[in-house]
Amino acid sequence: MSAMTLTRLIHEKRVVVCCGAGGVGKTTVSASLALAAARAGRRVLVITIDPSRRLAEALGVDRDLAEPVALAPERARAVGIEEPGRLSTWTLDPKRISDRVVKRLSRDPAKIRALLENRVYKNITAMIAGMQEYTAVEALHEFVTSGKYDLVILDTPPSRNALRFLDSPTRAATFLDRRILRLFVPGEENRIRQAASRIIEKVLDIALGEGARKELQEFFQLFEGILLHLNRNQGEMKKFFSGDGVSFLLVTSPARAAVEEAFYFEQKARELELPLAGFVLNRSLAWASNRPMPHRSLLDEDASEVEVSALRKMRGLAKPEKDRGMRHLELLEELRRRSQGKGFAWVLPELAAEASDLEALSQLAEHLSEERPQPKRKPPRKRRSKSAVASVKKAS
Amino acid sequence: MSFLDRRIHLVTGKGGVGRTTVAVALAHAAARAGRRVLLAEIGDPEGGYSAIGRKFGREHLTPEPEPLAEGIMGCQLCAIRGHELFVRSVIPAGPLIKAALASKPLRRFLVAAPSLHEMGVLYHILSLLKAKDRQGRPRHEVFIVDMPATGHTLALTSLPAIILDLLPVGPMARAMREGQSYLNDPTKAAAWVVTLPEQLPVSEALELLDGLRSTEMPAGGVILNRVPEDPFTEEERDALALLLDEKPMHGEVAFRRIGSAQISTAHLKQRTSLPVWELPEIFGPGDEEPAFSLADILAPLIAGTS
Repeated sequence: MSAMTLTRLIHEKRVVVCCGAGGVGKTTVSASLALAAARAGRRVLVITIDPSRRLAEALGVDRDLAEPVALAPERARAVGIEEPGRLSTWTLDPKRISDRVVKRLSRDPAKIRALLENRVYKNITAMIAGMQEYTAVEALHEFVTSGKYDLVILDTPPSRNALRFLDSPTRAATFLDRRILRLFVPGEENRIRQAASRIIEKVLDIALGEGARKELQEFFQLFEGILLHLNRNQGEMKKFFSGDGVSFLLVTSPARAAVEEAFYFEQKARELELPLAGFVLNRSLAWASNRPMPHRSLLDEDASEVEVSALRKMRGLAKPEKDRGMRHLELLEELRRRSQGKGFAWVLPELAAEASDLEALSQLAEHLSEERPQPKRKPPRKRRSKSAVASVKKAS
Repeated sequence: MSFLDRRIHLVTGKGGVGRTTVAVALAHAAARAGRRVLLAEIGDPEGGYSAIGRKFGREHLTPEPEPLAEGIMGCQLCAIRGHELFVRSVIPAGPLIKAALASKPLRRFLVAAPSLHEMGVLYHILSLLKAKDRQGRPRHEVFIVDMPATGHTLALTSLPAIILDLLPVGPMARAMREGQSYLNDPTKAAAWVVTLPEQLPVSEALELLDGLRSTEMPAGGVILNRVPEDPFTEEERDALALLLDEKPMHGEVAFRRIGSAQISTAHLKQRTSLPVWELPEIFGPGDEEPAFSLADILAPLIAGTS
């Protein structure tokens, strides 16, 4: 199989999962990618699990929607989306998905009611680690198989350890482990186990109070059937994520901590044999690294005093920006080396304006979908003064 | 009520805004003011690296406070430690605790249920707040917690109310009420929202302030990080804007950021009556700002009343 490219990703994949540290702009990248794919004529859905729901803000759709909502036709056309292309957005509500699973899996209406009214269940997202991620996977599966979308892009939740998403089914299952259940749901176990459960029950009664302990027990009893489903699904989900139509995209900013996390993520994904598409280096100054330094020659002969002093002050801003641009280029090269032959390393500019509205997203989408060459490192020059003059000449 | 007069500070904000750096800078500033500072982060139940430890050149931090720098102790808040302390406080020693806590399923249960995880963390925080030295003074005068991303902060600050709703009586309820007596008291505790002078981070910061209010966690203020310096006069700015339209050059991104930062800052100040502390943008190696120089700027701010 030839190496994955961003264009192929947009045109061919059915699921793209964007991963990365918090604050690297995953949501923006997910939305821009979706926009680029919709422009290419695909029916795209973006799911975000970010509690702050930034994507909804950027795309101007309401929060807390039961179903995905497509971008209104006139707004879609304004950003270059034509039929059959379509861009839909949805923000995940774990409780809603969980309720859906409960209703689907349980046949006894009285049991369903008891579970939905159980106080522990009402706090289920606070009770079960990985429930949010787990429901995201469940929802993803549902949307992919619905046939309504050609491509589903999942924006994973930000966390210090973004990896949690990958093993979320395992984590949910850990909590719902039958051995844990036995703590609360006495079975026909041997006598030693029964004695142990009684001790634990006693401790829980002291710590939680008898009423709460009983409610917890009821929750576990009612949730047991759901648990079996969750566990059974785990293998299916793993297979789904390793499949041909799925790609993982590692998003990072140039900040060192974010890059380190991306590398850690990459290693982990390889261990888990997840299909990695490549890296996206977001908010990079690499694009601007070929620009000239502010120099008197950029001004007309008869430039005003104000222009001259403004340009002089601009040099103070330019030097660190140039240095950062060079560092970002080096980083991009490293990302390319790492993905050689297997995937791609793409770079997105640090936009002067905030990427918070459709127009800005559309700018980024252009960067993502164009086949133009990405910034390259210039061969090192011998002398600084000369190179500044040379690049100024080239620019004018 | 100044920063230094309060016992506990939760430093929060979304990923990538420099929250840990700000927490470390606040700790340095408080230590310079002569306070015994405890700087803590929430330990990942699955292990992982220590963001605070790294700022002091070490890989890991332990649940037991250890010296990090002059006047600064550091530790990792650990749910399991909190659970142990809690169980020991409700059940007088003996084989019962040992049997219960040695149970693997119970341990897994405590780790896998997030609210129980938060409860352990909260109990650990409480025990550190109550710790006394030999003279009977608080061992840690100013306790600064680098909180993980937004959602976790609200999970922790809303925990006492959730638990009290589930368990209105009993030892855990007592512990939660004690937690509230610290965290909901503006003379003892404050949350600080770290954000950037950009449109989305500012709107998220405002959202987080609303969230804190709904959990009755008093907010100390907003710390606006990486505010770019503006060296230009108005005429110069106009002239540059015209010039840049025709001729791209280095410094352009920074120049445009100055303008958008001013708009976002004004928007933030208009929407909140809380103090807004501005920290300048300083680029160190690897796009990370040095906490130490930020402490110079924070020192007078944390001493003043706010």
